[in-house]
Amino acid sequence: MSYRLTLAETETSLRKVARACGLDWGIAEEAGKAARWLAAFNLPGPETMLAHLLQLSAKDYRAFIPQGSAQPWHASGGLLCPIITGAALADRSAQMLEGKVFTLGPTAYPLLLAATVGQAARCHQTVFTTAWAGVRVSCFENGLSIEGDLDDLLLTRVDAVSCQQDDLSSPQQLPSTLAYAIDEEIVKQIDKLAFKTYAPATEASRAGAGAGLTDND
Amino acid sequence: MDCADQNPMPDAANFRRPPEVVMRLARMGSFHQTRLSFMRSLLRRLKNEDWKFKRNLWAIDEQGFGRAVYTVYGPERNYSLVAFSHDLPDEMRSDRVIATAWDTTFSLYDGIPTTADLDRLEQNVPKQEAGRISDSELSLSRANRSVRLWQHVVARLSAGRQPDCDQLEAVGYLVRTTAVYGSGKFGAADRLSIAGRPEVSAPFQAELLSVWLTRAFSLDLVEHIARARGGDQAVAIEPEMRRRVGVGNSTGLGMAPFLINHPALLNNWMMAREEALARVRALPQAETEAIADFKRHFERACFNVSQWHSEHPIQIEKLGALRADLELMASYIADESLSEDHPWDRFYRWAEASLSLEGQEQLVSLLLEPYGELVDELTQCMDADEHLAFFIDGAMPVARLCEIIETRCQWALQVDYGQLENRARFWYTSAEKLEPRVGERFHEPGAEYELPLAIGYDIKQMHAALTVWEGGQTTAEFLLLHPEHRHTARRVQNLAVRPYAEIQDNLIAADMLPIDILRCKLSFFGATKFDPRSDRWVRICMYQDAPFPHELLAAAP
Repeated sequence: MSYRLTLAETETSLRKVARACGLDWGIAEEAGKAARWLAAFNLPGPETMLAHLLQLSAKDYRAFIPQGSAQPWHASGGLLCPIITGAALADRSAQMLEGKVFTLGPTAYPLLLAATVGQAARCHQTVFTTAWAGVRVSCFENGLSIEGDLDDLLLTRVDAVSCQQDDLSSPQQLPSTLAYAIDEEIVKQIDKLAFKTYAPATEASRAGAGAGLTDND
Repeated sequence: MDCADQNPMPDAANFRRPPEVVMRLARMGSFHQTRLSFMRSLLRRLKNEDWKFKRNLWAIDEQGFGRAVYTVYGPERNYSLVAFSHDLPDEMRSDRVIATAWDTTFSLYDGIPTTADLDRLEQNVPKQEAGRISDSELSLSRANRSVRLWQHVVARLSAGRQPDCDQLEAVGYLVRTTAVYGSGKFGAADRLSIAGRPEVSAPFQAELLSVWLTRAFSLDLVEHIARARGGDQAVAIEPEMRRRVGVGNSTGLGMAPFLINHPALLNNWMMAREEALARVRALPQAETEAIADFKRHFERACFNVSQWHSEHPIQIEKLGALRADLELMASYIADESLSEDHPWDRFYRWAEASLSLEGQEQLVSLLLEPYGELVDELTQCMDADEHLAFFIDGAMPVARLCEIIETRCQWALQVDYGQLENRARFWYTSAEKLEPRVGERFHEPGAEYELPLAIGYDIKQMHAALTVWEGGQTTAEFLLLHPEHRHTARRVQNLAVRPYAEIQDNLIAADMLPIDILRCKLSFFGATKFDPRSDRWVRICMYQDAPFPHELLAAAP
């Protein structure tokens, strides 16, 4: 059954799922933004993010990050995390703005990487294009466009990715939405994981935060 | 819009209070509403733009149960409060955010709802968090009656008598709201959908419009029930006394992290308020009319403080100091000439040296009152695109990151976190309440669930980690290996361009008072009569003395 998840709920929930799966808050924030950004264009950001985070869960962060600065970037564990790597690329926006092209080796869920880098494109009011297999995803200030083979959009892993500043004079902007239609079962999975970031109640936490049980004054 | 973009008084910058003075919890916890507060800017707009009002539906039975619709008509769009009134057994009445049933429930509809919309909302709004609303709704809220005052008012009005003034003043409202949800929560329209509308793009305008209409509904409802009970002998409340009835609110820890989680917004709120004060202080002279206006507002403030009660020891002490401060201010006004050079700046500097923080901040609010033409435009720069504060400049050298911390975050570096009392608390989300709470780090389990709200502690930790890096290395290189500092790096870089973005106090200290954070936020809303019930929740009054919709706005056809 389809469930209507607002963009605000998407961001908040996926941020918590990322945290529950072991990412630090600062990276988890990137995950929430990326999921929201994709959902805003009716792309399966929440589902893809959930699938990726589940495979990341409880594993060593350092196995998923780019090693050294030599291109193409590689992860010691074999597969680059698109959130961590996307954030690292966003942090290198200045180099992309100067024309540098970044190339990556094996990467998980490249659509998530495109969306994470895309957050920096919004801030710089420019276009950052991420390309893999037969598809190119361009993020700009208020939009997103896709060129090429849509079948490659949701690949769970690819062997090569490139990322660079682009010059799209008239991008084909996807229509946007304020709420994303998603399978209710997936929402339950997301909520269940998000719940893991909440602390179980203690006697002390029950006391003092609000009014008493009756409040008839 | 940035305040700097519209600065008719460059000289004001010389009178602006620095962040290290303003962004302290003790001061923020002494803020009063100002003419920049969001309730007041909302009502100013409705009046200036000649909005219209109509109660479009009143389907309430003799018991007081049913539904009603209150609509305001703007130049481009209309908004409707959809209200449901329910039969709530006493044993289910609770102000806790975890309550499951309420006397009245509300949603602000984007436009004018059809009967089908009302039927849909009736299936969901009474359930609050357990229901779902849609893109057509901008808020979701509830309110319980103040049972004591409600029964008194119904008894009096139905018998043809006016309520007892003292009883009415002692409570100040007939219904008390708790959470007022907006911005995409529980299915409501995302903020993005209304951000481009001038009438609701400023912070919390939709939510506060719903509260204003809720107040009108509460008065209409009590008079309706009194009429049903008393028949021909029943009377309505006299208009002057009616205006003294506001709408209450109980607010706890759930609201506290908001200011910390919205640093760009906090900066803009503070910048606007401080710029407004600076502009008034920079005035070389005070006109006779402005002085008279100031004195009128001073008298009003003295009356309001005389009606402001609290049973909490902290607030009792603060109110005592405020009353003494008002007496000192009265002497100052009587003795000192306000026609001297830079009279308001002199007054403010005197207050800084002579009054408690409560009194100083009361004066700040009063100084803005005569100068609407000078300061009201600043409400246009009180919203913020939080996304702009999200960006990390990865090319920034580590040396520069350190420099920002050392120049702007001494408040964080100076704390010895080795002392247990300086990290005695932790903020977390409660699995039971689904709300933020504060725990005792060394006495309760759960610190592993800590939310990233220990800003000062985190800044000092990051500073220590940075010291082993070469100054020329980049923030990007540092963060790739230290993802645990990513959240903090964002905040620190933000401080370089948004100096009022951080509360400059230790948010995990044993003596930190969450009610200070609540009061700061609520003062920006326009709340009055802050009445803390502990160090972590507070009751307030909203819209007391404000006109009602049918008084402020012409009737819609």
